[in-house]
Amino acid sequence: MNFVALRMLTGDRAKYFGLVFAIAFCTFLLENQTSIFANILRRTASQILDVTDAEVWVMDPTTEYWEQTKPLKDTDLLRVRGVPGVRWAVRLYKGNPVARTETGKFAAAFLIGLDDATLAGAPRKMLLGSWERLQEPDSVVIDKAGYELLFPNEPLDLGRRLEMNDHRVIIVGISDASAPFVSLPVMHARYSEAVNFLGHERTELSFIIARAAPGLSPAELTARIQTQTGLRARTTEEFMWDCINYYLRHTGIPVNFGITIAVALLVGTVVAGQTFYLFTVENLKQFGALKAMGVTNTRLMGMILLQAFSVGTLGFSLGTGMAAAFFEITLRKMATRGIVLMWQCVGLTGACIFLVVIVASVLSIRRVFVLEPAAVFRG
Amino acid sequence: MKRFILPLIGVLAALGAAVSIARTYPRRQSTDPPAPPPVSDFPNTVAAVGLVEASTENISIGTPLSGVVAKVFVTAGQMVRAGDPLFELDMRHLRADLKVNQQALAVARARVEVAQAHVDDLKRQLEFAERIEDKRAISAEEVSHRRSVVETASAELDESRAQVDAAESQVGAVKTEIDRSTVRAPIDAEVLQVKLRAGEFATAAPTATPMILLGRSKPLHVRVDVDEHEAWRVGRDATAMGHLRGNADMKTPLRFVRFEPFVVPKKSLTGDSTERVDTRVLQVIYRVERDDLPLFVGQQLDVFIEARPERGGQVTLPSLQ
Repeated sequence: MNFVALRMLTGDRAKYFGLVFAIAFCTFLLENQTSIFANILRRTASQILDVTDAEVWVMDPTTEYWEQTKPLKDTDLLRVRGVPGVRWAVRLYKGNPVARTETGKFAAAFLIGLDDATLAGAPRKMLLGSWERLQEPDSVVIDKAGYELLFPNEPLDLGRRLEMNDHRVIIVGISDASAPFVSLPVMHARYSEAVNFLGHERTELSFIIARAAPGLSPAELTARIQTQTGLRARTTEEFMWDCINYYLRHTGIPVNFGITIAVALLVGTVVAGQTFYLFTVENLKQFGALKAMGVTNTRLMGMILLQAFSVGTLGFSLGTGMAAAFFEITLRKMATRGIVLMWQCVGLTGACIFLVVIVASVLSIRRVFVLEPAAVFRG
Repeated sequence: MKRFILPLIGVLAALGAAVSIARTYPRRQSTDPPAPPPVSDFPNTVAAVGLVEASTENISIGTPLSGVVAKVFVTAGQMVRAGDPLFELDMRHLRADLKVNQQALAVARARVEVAQAHVDDLKRQLEFAERIEDKRAISAEEVSHRRSVVETASAELDESRAQVDAAESQVGAVKTEIDRSTVRAPIDAEVLQVKLRAGEFATAAPTATPMILLGRSKPLHVRVDVDEHEAWRVGRDATAMGHLRGNADMKTPLRFVRFEPFVVPKKSLTGDSTERVDTRVLQVIYRVERDDLPLFVGQQLDVFIEARPERGGQVTLPSLQ
């Protein structure tokens, strides 16, 4: 009987292909949109996740996300170091200077100042040069995208000069920093120099990054730091979600993507569901014949579900393959670097697709159940 | 066979997608900082920053006189004993003064001799007059006059002697000035800094940068700034550990010396004078126990002090909204 069901499905080539590709494109659209959305939001925390040395971030109690920083006092670093369970804590500076090239091209940038003694937070993924050279005076490491922004159509090269706040700085390395949400160059320098590249402010300590002592989880440590110092402490993951949530709440991005995803979901599922529903309805004659031959309702239901499942799996596989291919291509582009197909999105899309297919088959099963075998012969 | 083509493509697509997802999914691998940050050796600790200083504290040498420097006798790093000359000011004018005053002294001394001779002469005349017993040869008035002339001359002799003393004092004063033009080490110490070169002007007033910095560098002391919020946790005689910047493995035990009884506004150790103060710090003086570390006066140390445990969970957080 299962063989009959599958032959019924593939018998009409046009309907079969229509069905499979409707589901495939619906899958592609959903996976594509949700993945881009998730990845773009993840970019808001790129610079946080790039600091792989840190487990815990300490900031002013009013700081809500990465971009918004109120500097701490220098002694706050010492207070954090005094919290039991802190293995170590060092300072991290974040600023937005304007970098200028000799040709006059300029761009606002993210500047991350690393603790002079430890260089904690140094970009480990380097394309050219090395972060060790940050120990040299007036040196910065810039990310590849930033380099290409400031020196368009020029080969990657070390030793180039930039000017920031009347300071001459030398590029000693090109990093593969994760793309920031706003596509500004990402630069790393030493703390003591970074503060000069931006002009002095009264206090400059943007963040304190810390690691918990062995046997203490970062979450427990954040609680301790908050209790003892009154500062806000977040684990890297919590801080990432702070950023994502901030953008979700305060920007139009979720609305924008939400509408696209909703439309994709609606159109995709309606098309897929309706196609499948119509397919069953058009095959009512055959089902009637089977019923007349004495095939039970349960058996018929099994057949329809098998058809639904096969068509759903096939369409979903093809769609996911297309989405994966799409992201493999865009991954190589500078602007869309780091945007990948996320398994969470694939899972979610799969759940949606199968739900829709099952709903469509349940609706059509109802038609088959109420069908009188004799109806076939009335035609 | 044809009808297997699409399912086959489907299987391949699914496999390809699985590989692609597994390969590209962002992974965040935790790393350790390039150089290990300082880690406290105590379970309960107060962290602080210390500035290495000489055990005599750093002595910024002043000059009693303003003037152009003629010669600097010491170089940075040199050991000096108490009384060793450090630098001298230009004192040509003082030497000239000395000569003038010495001449004046010689003149004054000569005057004494003249006055003495005068007194002697008058005395002889008086004696002569007194020896004459014939009242007709010399009147009583004449004798009285000669007597008073001797007294006057004697007084003039005393005056010229006093003038010699005055001239001697003048010479002494100029010699003192000359002596003061050479600045000497007040104690046995090491010369930590020399910011003075021959030809520069030394002012007899406090200066922002010390002209010459002296201090005893064995043993070294550390002036540790403890945030006033944490100050209560630091006990008298608390042990401490100092970590070198850049290589936290190089560390030295610190021995408590004393508290500075006066809590001072935190000075930015970067030395930027425009920084406004919003924290006050308790300064604790510690002695560096190890002397084999590459440690210099003026260097910063990351210090961990063994502390009283923090009171539990009493601080309430200001809420975000």
